[in-house]
Amino acid sequence: MGRYVARRFVSMIITLWFVITITFFLMHSIPGGPFSREKALPEKVLEALNEKYHLNDPLWKQYTDYLQGVVVLDFGPSFSRPGIFVWDKIQEGFPISAKVGGIASLFVIIAGIPAGVISALYQNKLPDYIVTVIATVGVAVPSFVVATLFIYVFSEKLMLVPAYGLEEIKSYIGPTIALAGFSLSFVARLSRSSLLEVMQQDYIRTARAKGLSELSVIFKHAIKNSLIPVITYMGPTIASILTGSFVVERIFAIPGMGKLFVESVGNRDYTMIMGTTIFYAAFAIIMIFLVDIAYGIIDPRIKLGD
Amino acid sequence: METKMTNKWERLELKAAESEAVRKSLTYWQDAWRRLKKNVLSMVGLGIIILLMLFAAFGNFFTEWSFSDQDLDMSNLPPTLDTFDIGDGTLVYVHKEYTLYLVEEDGAKLTKLPIEDKNVMKKYNGYTVDGKTVVIDYSLAAKAKQSGDADAPKFQLIIDDQSFTVPTGQVYNKVYVLGTDRLGRDMLARLIYGARISLLIAFIATAVQFFIGVLYGGISGYIGGTVDNIMMRIVDIIATVPLLLYVILLMVVIGPGLKTICIALGSVYWVNMARIVRGQILSIKEQEYVLAARTIGASTWRIMVRHLIPNALGPIIVSLAMMIPNAIFTEAFLSFIGLGVNAPMASWGTLANDAVPGLRSYAYQLMLPSILISLTVLAFNFLGDGLRDALDPRLRK
Repeated sequence: MGRYVARRFVSMIITLWFVITITFFLMHSIPGGPFSREKALPEKVLEALNEKYHLNDPLWKQYTDYLQGVVVLDFGPSFSRPGIFVWDKIQEGFPISAKVGGIASLFVIIAGIPAGVISALYQNKLPDYIVTVIATVGVAVPSFVVATLFIYVFSEKLMLVPAYGLEEIKSYIGPTIALAGFSLSFVARLSRSSLLEVMQQDYIRTARAKGLSELSVIFKHAIKNSLIPVITYMGPTIASILTGSFVVERIFAIPGMGKLFVESVGNRDYTMIMGTTIFYAAFAIIMIFLVDIAYGIIDPRIKLGD
Repeated sequence: METKMTNKWERLELKAAESEAVRKSLTYWQDAWRRLKKNVLSMVGLGIIILLMLFAAFGNFFTEWSFSDQDLDMSNLPPTLDTFDIGDGTLVYVHKEYTLYLVEEDGAKLTKLPIEDKNVMKKYNGYTVDGKTVVIDYSLAAKAKQSGDADAPKFQLIIDDQSFTVPTGQVYNKVYVLGTDRLGRDMLARLIYGARISLLIAFIATAVQFFIGVLYGGISGYIGGTVDNIMMRIVDIIATVPLLLYVILLMVVIGPGLKTICIALGSVYWVNMARIVRGQILSIKEQEYVLAARTIGASTWRIMVRHLIPNALGPIIVSLAMMIPNAIFTEAFLSFIGLGVNAPMASWGTLANDAVPGLRSYAYQLMLPSILISLTVLAFNFLGDGLRDALDPRLRK
């Protein structure tokens, strides 16, 4: 177990380093500096700015400085808004996003898995068709469509929920549905096909043959094993819910990380883009790492020593 | 007793023997196509895809407008016009911006009428139509908004001191069949153009992914050993990174545009393809025909291109069919956060994005591109599912 965790940990660190390096060099390969404007700044000002942000240092020095900064969570100052630090903005935005994203992830689990299970147990019957149709459509409709339609129907026409912000509990409904939609449908489909496969295995027949009730066969033996692929998928799910927040937060005017990222892309705020990209990637990578560990613990078939 | 025994071994009649005739032998692809045809959903998907391509290619014949023709007088006109009859069969349409349009010949001709008496303080616009004074009084709008009832009237039309709030009829907009956007451009023409751009991006990006993925996975799988190990560790690392971030980053670095989207999508999402191809090549390369090819002195390149890749094509095609909707999705997403193709070019994503500010009043502008995006993704998903079943040799009958 320890060796497995250690190995995964090392590969996680390498991935993180890879992410930081790629992000850094991509952002530094942009032609023109971060201060090139349509109306060129006076040379003296430009020089002073370059001096202040150490942009005159050789690239490798800037890189090692940045790397050192990232280790202690110092992502430097924002380039387009003086006096504001990237890490402060992230600290402001992340808890809000995490709250919405957390609710959405929870929703994916408590609605997606039961939907898939019901669908599998009633295979080729009405509940199955309903779940399959909804899940198929859910995978095909982009989150921005779900979000805007939700606002259109429930806030503009029916006036049941506020169109933006997070002041009321009701206002979490829209973002949750829009964020969870895709993953929810995917999880439902995944748990359906996985449970169907498990139900055909020999040990299920054995369990039935020894006279267990159908309920105990399903809940004690089948579902447990069928959830393993679903758990593996939860890591990428959390990542997709995070990236989905770019659009959803913009539409619902939620002042979270997604809005920060899209804004910084719009403003071409180099350090902010770098900081948020690395933060997002790091968060997703750590989530995948944790899910992998959990997966290793849950499924005894995986040899942890490998 | 004797007769019974002989009966038991009676010879088959000729006809019975014929009915057991050998089935025509089918190649892998013929068989796959035969099975795909049986799958209703994927045939529906295929049909929708062909229709969409025809729509993109020949849709122009159904509209006289080009995607960039704009007419600000004709902005935000819906596909169906709620009309008021002001007497003598003269129809007028009240725009959501409280301006008046004359509707002639059952919607085949629309004219914006000049405002004669504009009063912003008292909130009304006055017109003269056929010698009658027509006043649009929109002072009700504020009250309607407060009332919390979406159906509350927002204006009243006063024709010679008679007040109307409910439209008397509805005609189809035959000038702009699907309405216009906020710059007065024909939605149908924009949707057709958007279909071209969206499908083009999807196909090019998928082709780029295909080439990088197949080459990378092929080389990795065929050479094997340390090279394979290193190449696959790189893929593992890339696969854990949320790739959308890098597509966005690339778009920022190279600058938005048609070319960039294709490059960004193609150069980032090839990882899955590489994994699939490698897995296939690993198992295929041990087969005898590869050994045979090598014995007669075929070059590595020839073995790869002529023997290995064609035999790994089944899973590759399935994942291609799944990648196209992914590319359409991602493109729409990028356009939606402002990193799409530049105006006046349009993709479905940029059309949807443009529609968001006016969603409250002009919902059709968002619905149309959204429906097309969803339909395309759905169709490719259906086709992909069917292809997976049809190209799986284990399910071959």
